[in-house]
Order: sequence, then structure tokens, then C-alpha cells
Amino acid sequence: MESKFTEAAHQKLSEDGHESECDKIAHLLDLMIDGEASTEEQSYFNTHIEECVPCFESHQKQKLLKGLVSGHLKRVIVPESLALSIKARIQETV
Amino acid sequence: MSEQTGKQLSKEEKDARFEAELLPVLDPLYNFAYRLTLDEDDANDLVQETYLKAYRFFDYFEQGTNAKAWLFRILKNSFINEFRKKSKQPAKVDYSEVEGYYNSDDVEGEGGVATTTDMRTESVQDLIGDEVASALNALPVDFRTVIILCDLEGFTYEEMAKILDIPIGTVRSRLHRARNSLKEKLEKYAKSMGYNS
Ligand SMILES: [Zn+2]
Repeated sequence: MESKFTEAAHQKLSEDGHESECDKIAHLLDLMIDGEASTEEQSYFNTHIEECVPCFESHQKQKLLKGLVSGHLKRVIVPESLALSIKARIQETV
Repeated sequence: MSEQTGKQLSKEEKDARFEAELLPVLDPLYNFAYRLTLDEDDANDLVQETYLKAYRFFDYFEQGTNAKAWLFRILKNSFINEFRKKSKQPAKVDYSEVEGYYNSDDVEGEGGVATTTDMRTESVQDLIGDEVASALNALPVDFRTVIILCDLEGFTYEEMAKILDIPIGTVRSRLHRARNSLKEKLEKYAKSMGYNS
């Protein structure tokens, strides 16, 4: 509930036309969790989330989401016959 | 077909090199195919087709370059060009429905952070595995694709841009929208399980 309140306040900032820092941070979220942010972007980001709770929380959520896929999505098992049939078909290809 | 250029490799040598360089990608490739088609037989066919194409173009493949990205690209093209049309996927997921909805391009506001559910650690433990899979499977295929490539296979944005033939900016925005929809679906589930904030 508390976080909803601050989130609303935080979005209001951007409506006022301040290209708020929080907006910039929102654009960096994916870059950060995907390891695609530059060194400057990283330090800008990290400095900001140290003092901004909504952005800190968004970052946590985004990391969590990525972790759900990378850590919990089950891999399917490759049928044993597949490698064999690929090899066989390649061998008969001229 | 005579595409022997420069160094003449015997068929045995070529086959050995092909197998050594490309077969190690079989597991991620099959998983990708399965996540695209949502069907084991289709995934099987798609992967075989991909390897046969790769074999035909193997002379153009530069040794030591990114074999995984190359194969993923071929597979994705096969899927789009041929497979998607003839694919028999009636019962599984109704894409037209989801796609119609999401193609309106604006899933939720930019940087929406419309995350209202408190995804606490305990709730997350319960969402695992099957729930992630069904949430992901319910996404339109373009969204599913970027999430798989990025989060499951760890491709960089640049590699994804090459695999998908789209600019990096499009990779970023598509990934962003894909994550928003995935988040939305997982939160619906979390709510239905009583993990309402
Ligand atoms: Zn902020």
C-alpha cells in the first residue's frame, strides 16, 4: 500500500514534464539486469537506487522476473534419436 | 551441389567438422524450437530442417564464429518462413487471440512499473517451473522469443538483433514489452493463488 502511494507520486513527477531521473532509471532497467549497461549507466543507476525506493523496488522486481525464467523454466530433454537422425541425414546428403 | 571453395575438404572431414562445431548446440536449439512450436514433434522437425540447411550452407560458415547464434538464426527463419504456416497447433494456445490483443503495440505504458502485486519470496517459490512455462507460452511468439533468447540462452542484444534481423532498439523495446506482459500474467497467477498484496 505504501509502495503504491510512492509509485503514484513518482509517476506524477514525469507528468509534470520533469524528465525525471526515475524515468531515465526506468529506461535503464533492462540494460542493467541484462548486463548491457555501460559503466557510466551503471554508476548512475546504482547511485539513484540507493536513495529512491520505487526505483530500487522496480529493479528488484525486474531481476526477479528474469530469474524466474533463467532459473526455473524447465528445459525439455532432447530425444536421443534426434542427433542420430541428423547425422544420418547429413551423411546421405551429397 | 558443388560449393567446394578454396580448401577441399573430403565429405568425411566436412561431416566431422560439422558435427564437432554444430551438434553441441543441439540442446539449446531443440529447447528453442520447442518453446516456439510448443510441440515435441514439430520441434524435432524444425531442428532437423535447421541442421540440414546449416549443412548446405556450412561452407559459408566461418569457423570459430558464433555457431549458436548462426543456428538460432536459421531456425528462427525456418520457423517463420515455412513452419509457422503449416504448423498444426489447434488446441494448445490460441495465438490469434493474444496476438490481436498485444499487437496493439502498447501493452502498458512506458516504464509502467504497474506492478501492484507484492511478489514475495514465498509466493515466488510456488510460481516456479510450470507456472513460468504456462505464462510464457501464453505470450505471442515474438515476445516469447526475445525472452527465451535473452533470459534462457543469455544472448546479448547484439546477437539477438542478428538472430532476429531487427535493430537493437527494437530488441530492447520488444524485450521490455515482453517482460511487461509476462509480469502481468505471472501476477494474475499470484493473485489467483491468494498472494494479493
Ligand atoms: Zn527513482
